[in-house]
Amino acid sequence: MRKLLRTVLKDRSGWFKISMVCAVFICCGLIQSFQVDNQETYVLQYPANFGARFVIPADNPTTKDGVYLGRLLFYEKALSAKNNISCESCHQQKLAFTDGKAFSTGTDGSLTARNSMSLANLLWVRNFFWDGRSPGLEDQARFPLTDPHEMGQPLSESAKKINNTALYPPLFKKAFGSTVITEGQILKALSQFERTLISAGSNYDGYLAGNYKPTAQELRGLQLFESGPDPKNGVRGANCGHCHGGVKTFKELFHNNGLDSLVTDMGREQFTGQSTDRARFRVPTLRNIMLTAPYMHDGRFSTIEQVLDHYNEHIRQSPTLSSFLQDISNEIGGKNLALTRGEKADLIAFLGMLTDSSFISNPAFSNPHPVLNP
Amino acid sequence: MFKTKFSKQSIAASLLLLLCAAFSSFAQNTATLSITGEVTTPLELKLADLASFKQVSHKVKDRDGKEHEFSGVALIEILEKAGVTTGSKLRGENLAKYLLISAADGYEVLYSLAEIDPDFTDQVILLATTKDGQPLANGEGPFRIITPNDKKPARWIREVRSIKVAFAKI
Repeated sequence: MRKLLRTVLKDRSGWFKISMVCAVFICCGLIQSFQVDNQETYVLQYPANFGARFVIPADNPTTKDGVYLGRLLFYEKALSAKNNISCESCHQQKLAFTDGKAFSTGTDGSLTARNSMSLANLLWVRNFFWDGRSPGLEDQARFPLTDPHEMGQPLSESAKKINNTALYPPLFKKAFGSTVITEGQILKALSQFERTLISAGSNYDGYLAGNYKPTAQELRGLQLFESGPDPKNGVRGANCGHCHGGVKTFKELFHNNGLDSLVTDMGREQFTGQSTDRARFRVPTLRNIMLTAPYMHDGRFSTIEQVLDHYNEHIRQSPTLSSFLQDISNEIGGKNLALTRGEKADLIAFLGMLTDSSFISNPAFSNPHPVLNP
Repeated sequence: MFKTKFSKQSIAASLLLLLCAAFSSFAQNTATLSITGEVTTPLELKLADLASFKQVSHKVKDRDGKEHEFSGVALIEILEKAGVTTGSKLRGENLAKYLLISAADGYEVLYSLAEIDPDFTDQVILLATTKDGQPLANGEGPFRIITPNDKKPARWIREVRSIKVAFAKI
């Protein structure tokens, strides 16, 4: 080696030597920058009014390679015991990542216990599932992947299966730098993709940014949505914003919304063990609500009209019923909300403003696998 | 016929009420309040544990616009019991400490530690357990914060389940 160098450099001009040295440096620099490229950060973009109250685990930064890998895995049927379903089966983009069913069918044909939730704006969610039992996306993904009524496959088996493919090992190496695919990396990649599922392109967002002029009916609906009833002062309201307020249309809350007097699903109590949490369920986002029927944790309402009728006139008493749903009315001394038919129509018009067509058609969220269609 | 049906309904209603009352007292006795974070002694308090503290009360107007008498324990006493840096220790970096108070339904509010300390303020922030002599109802109790000088009662957080003392890190 030294001999070769000496031969190359011998009797050459100083300029040649300098350019050789420069070439070596440039090459090193290029290799270095390629390595940085591999870990290129995926920039999560969202409107300022969404705020930055979220935590991304330090050991799972969002990278372009990680997000792409997560997207492939999201649509990967090999992650189910019978290779017949993927995350997409219950979370379809065209339905704002729900499946249009009350309960979803798992890999073995059995039904899930609760309704499939929309996957919009999970970046800001801090307690996942209807009962809030999971504190982070990485932890959350474990449940549907392994639950026998969902994808039903141990993570170790999933890792083994995709280790034996031609597609995945190089992609995991790019995203996580190791040659063996681990269970944790599967969860991390899925979480990275899910963090990118941001829905902030609805007419409501346009309105908040001053770029969309709502119809008169939409504006009336918005007013009702945000107001609490105050019949003494002539203020009519549906009080939705009390729990679904703010630009994200959910607050990190769990309430018993009066579906039943005698409950069959214990809700959050199952997780906390506290009887005061009986039949408390997550207040879900209303983003894309017109696309995510049927509604409630058990999908009991097939239309949005039924949902409004419930809150307006069918609240059932029970010891843990939310105090926000009691003794609240648009009539002095009234026992229910007492919204008119027209007001319900106004509210539905406003809820339509929360549909984000750019979210359900964003190619970055679609199935990246080649689809074999004639 | 109509009469029998009516009486059956009232029996059912009374039974439901009784059930609610039983449930309520059961729930109140088992609910706990945790004090964690920057403390020397983490606490897990039940309603009965508060009896040993000095009882304080405030007459204040609640959300319903009516005046009520709330009784309970000064929040600062609970913090002292947990070994939080109050009084003479509340200086320097400890002034960057806050309390994140969480309710059973997930609602959260924040107070800076200095806002609660009697060296800084005359306001006694209360961890209330009774309202007009009665234990706080379901959905409100068993623990609720009462901050008389807050004009808007949004930080009078109900169903308090945890108090986390922490340093602001950003």
